[in-house]
Amino acid sequence: MALDPTLGIPVVYIVDDEDVVRDSFAWLLRSRRLLSEGFTSAESFEAHLDTMRLPWPTAPVCLLLDVRMPGMSGLVLFERLAERGLLAALPVIFLTGHGDVPTAVAAVKGGAFDFVEKPFSNNALVDRIVLALEASGTELQRRRAQQTAGRTLAALTEREREVMRLVIDGRPNKLIADVLGISVRTVEVHRARVFEKMNVRSAVELANLLRDPGS
Amino acid sequence: MPPNAPNPPTQPPRRRMRRALLWGMLIGLLLVAQSLLVWLTVSYESARAQEEADGVAAEAAVEIRRDLLRHMQALQALMWREPMPSDWRDHANELMRSQRELLHVERRDADLRVTGSLSTPYGQRLFSQMSRDDLDIDTELACLTARRAARPSFSRTYFVPLPGGQGAEVLDLCVPLQQDGRDAGFLVGTFALAQLLDGVQTPRLARQYELSFVESDGTRLARAGMSRGTGVYVAERLVDLPGVLLQLRADAASGRPSLIPNLATALVLGLSLALFTVVLLLVRDVRRRAAAEHALAESLAFRQAMEDSLVTGLRARDLTGAITYVNPAFCAMVGASAVELMAGRVTQIHSQHRPPYWPPEFADAYQHRQHTLLAGGGRPGGPLEAREGFETVFMRKNGERFPVMIYEAPLVDGQGRHTGWMSAVLDISAQRRMEELSRQQQDRLQATARLATVGEMASLLSHELNQPLAAISSYTAGSLNLIDEPQGTAADTLPMLRQALERVAEQAERAGRIIKSVHDFVRRREQQRETLGVDLLIEAVMPLVRLQARKSGTRIELDMGDKPPRVVCDRTMLEQVLLNLTRNGIQAMETGMPLAARVLTLRVRQTHPRWVSFSVIDAGPGIAASVALRLFTPFFTTRSEGMGLGLSLCRTVVEQHGGALDFGPGPDGRGTEFRFTLPAPRATSPHAAPSLPARAGTSAGTSAGSSEEPSAEPSVESGDTAGTTPV
Repeated sequence: MALDPTLGIPVVYIVDDEDVVRDSFAWLLRSRRLLSEGFTSAESFEAHLDTMRLPWPTAPVCLLLDVRMPGMSGLVLFERLAERGLLAALPVIFLTGHGDVPTAVAAVKGGAFDFVEKPFSNNALVDRIVLALEASGTELQRRRAQQTAGRTLAALTEREREVMRLVIDGRPNKLIADVLGISVRTVEVHRARVFEKMNVRSAVELANLLRDPGS
Repeated sequence: MPPNAPNPPTQPPRRRMRRALLWGMLIGLLLVAQSLLVWLTVSYESARAQEEADGVAAEAAVEIRRDLLRHMQALQALMWREPMPSDWRDHANELMRSQRELLHVERRDADLRVTGSLSTPYGQRLFSQMSRDDLDIDTELACLTARRAARPSFSRTYFVPLPGGQGAEVLDLCVPLQQDGRDAGFLVGTFALAQLLDGVQTPRLARQYELSFVESDGTRLARAGMSRGTGVYVAERLVDLPGVLLQLRADAASGRPSLIPNLATALVLGLSLALFTVVLLLVRDVRRRAAAEHALAESLAFRQAMEDSLVTGLRARDLTGAITYVNPAFCAMVGASAVELMAGRVTQIHSQHRPPYWPPEFADAYQHRQHTLLAGGGRPGGPLEAREGFETVFMRKNGERFPVMIYEAPLVDGQGRHTGWMSAVLDISAQRRMEELSRQQQDRLQATARLATVGEMASLLSHELNQPLAAISSYTAGSLNLIDEPQGTAADTLPMLRQALERVAEQAERAGRIIKSVHDFVRRREQQRETLGVDLLIEAVMPLVRLQARKSGTRIELDMGDKPPRVVCDRTMLEQVLLNLTRNGIQAMETGMPLAARVLTLRVRQTHPRWVSFSVIDAGPGIAASVALRLFTPFFTTRSEGMGLGLSLCRTVVEQHGGALDFGPGPDGRGTEFRFTLPAPRATSPHAAPSLPARAGTSAGTSAGSSEEPSAEPSVESGDTAGTTPV
């Protein structure tokens, strides 16, 4: 259990229409020292989501989602979260009764973190939840690094940015010099400056940093 | 064609009248034609006769004239020479000898005085009765005419009386004589008219005609001929002589043409005409008959095709019960040829006739029924019953029994005599199969419905119980987490544990409530108990049990004792129990048992004043010890399609009634016996509950067959037989 405390206090959202299930599970999570928040329906959770300030989440989160509920079903809510691009930061674990297994499997293929069949083995589920929270935390960290990279990118000169683009494309220095019409030596200087400013040691690291978020 | 067309009473008179009219017209026409024919023939004949008479008259006239002229020349020749010969007498004599009609010749002078006369040597002398002078006028007139004309001239005829009252009509010829240019007197010859006629008469003519000279007023002067004329065919001719005109009449001897020969001819003609007509009619009739025969053959072929295409078997029997006709469908049904079926008619006509399609085991009953039917004859009771049809069992040639529906109707011949029976036989085995199938379907449907209910209840129950149990599990797991926390007891641990335990208790209670509600549901059914006769209970499930038994060929034996006991129970639940147990028993015998040994016994006994004991005993292989241990465990089953709820439910139901369900080997050591007890009603009101009449109870001890409606009609029993024997 290696949750980075710098990322904030993790929260587990439970969306289930059964009070008993919500209550008992919240209590179980509390016994594992995990914070949880219960919602009686998909609609109420979505409403809560809308009140959040973006970009959200600011701490590792995960969602326990019952498939079958009165009103909006868990699957519909899941689809909406996917549309918002929240699935990476908000991993979804489906709770299914018997008979819903095929739909749950389909949901996992569509990007859900996992599913558990009711009645579930309690601590095993909590272990899955912790994994989901870690995944959420990793995503959060990646986003923060990206933000930092964006800021340093602004500090680069025009020439340095040109050199960096070609470096990320994997061109050797000699070629870069030919393309930009400058000497190889100058390219090497620029390259070193870029690495220094971006706080990376290699071209691969640079590329990773500048990868499109979410991909 | 039977005379039941809608308007025959009005048609025949009109048709008959028309036919009579036709015939009348035909006969009338025939008569007219006949009369016309006869008339034509007769008129033709008379015309011919008249013509002939004319001919005869003309010929005779010419002949007579020629004769007279010849005589005239002969007389002239007497006095021809110059001077007057004196020997004229000799010549005249000779002449008279040769000419019989010349009676008299005389010589006269210029003053008409007779100078010499000579008579014929034949016959009597003329002028013996009357003198010549008295009869001279006509002669003188003729002579005067002759002198004036200077040529011979005939006188008018006149009558000369002869002796004996007779007379002769004669005619004079006066020939003027001239000597040296002056009158030298006359030569007069007298001719007899009768002889003149005789001269021209031939024998044939003499037979057929009467020739006569007549005067203009019709007076006959002289006649000749053997027969008298009849005056029918009369022809007259004038003989033109110098000086006189004689009228000659020919009168045919034959009379009017007689009708009779003509009538005969006409009759023959008419008859041949009629014959021709008859032949024509016959030909037409034959043609029409041939057409009718053709049509009959066509309709026969049509009927034959119809009979052949029928799927309904047809069978005709005479009054002895022997088969006189079967159609192909019937033959196909029983698998025997028509010849085989009708063979019995020849060999066994007087003995007890048993057709090959009677199953041997029912032959006596059928024989009896046939006797009743035949004894009933054409009485109204028989056919009425027959028209409704009855069911019975026939046997195919391969020994297979099959149910048939028979409709019988009396055969009545053209004279209205009752000659036998015609039966329509329908093979209803396919129909039976369909019924069986649909009943099975129904059965399966019911079973499925029951299963669905059980399944639904189980699903609901599991869901309801799932929630509290899952919650309890969560709380306990969490509690363990808290207790196992490595960093020692936190401040909030105890209150949390307390909260968890409270929640656990809550949820446990909730689960208990769910269980109790199920129990209440079962309890509620207890209030539906009633007191009823065991026979009624069994009667209700028997059709379903028998259906199952029929499939596997199991025989069912009922044993309810002399007086079926009464029980207090929830009827529907108990029916389920009975159905379950009997089904188990029947299924236990379905494999590996000979058909004869498949017997399921259902026995009910009042073993205790307060308890009635039920036993369902099969003859199956028994229950293995390993199976016996788990027999009442819910969801345990030895069958692939079973739910495993049957026996456990049965036990629950029985126990709810206060009874007990157990099992063991059968009474004779084979098979399995399931026993359960039910409470008997308290002996307060024995007549309060419904029960079947005693008849069902008394007949129930023997076999499955007799527990159904006992019937006098043997054919009805076939249904039972089909149930207890493998088909």
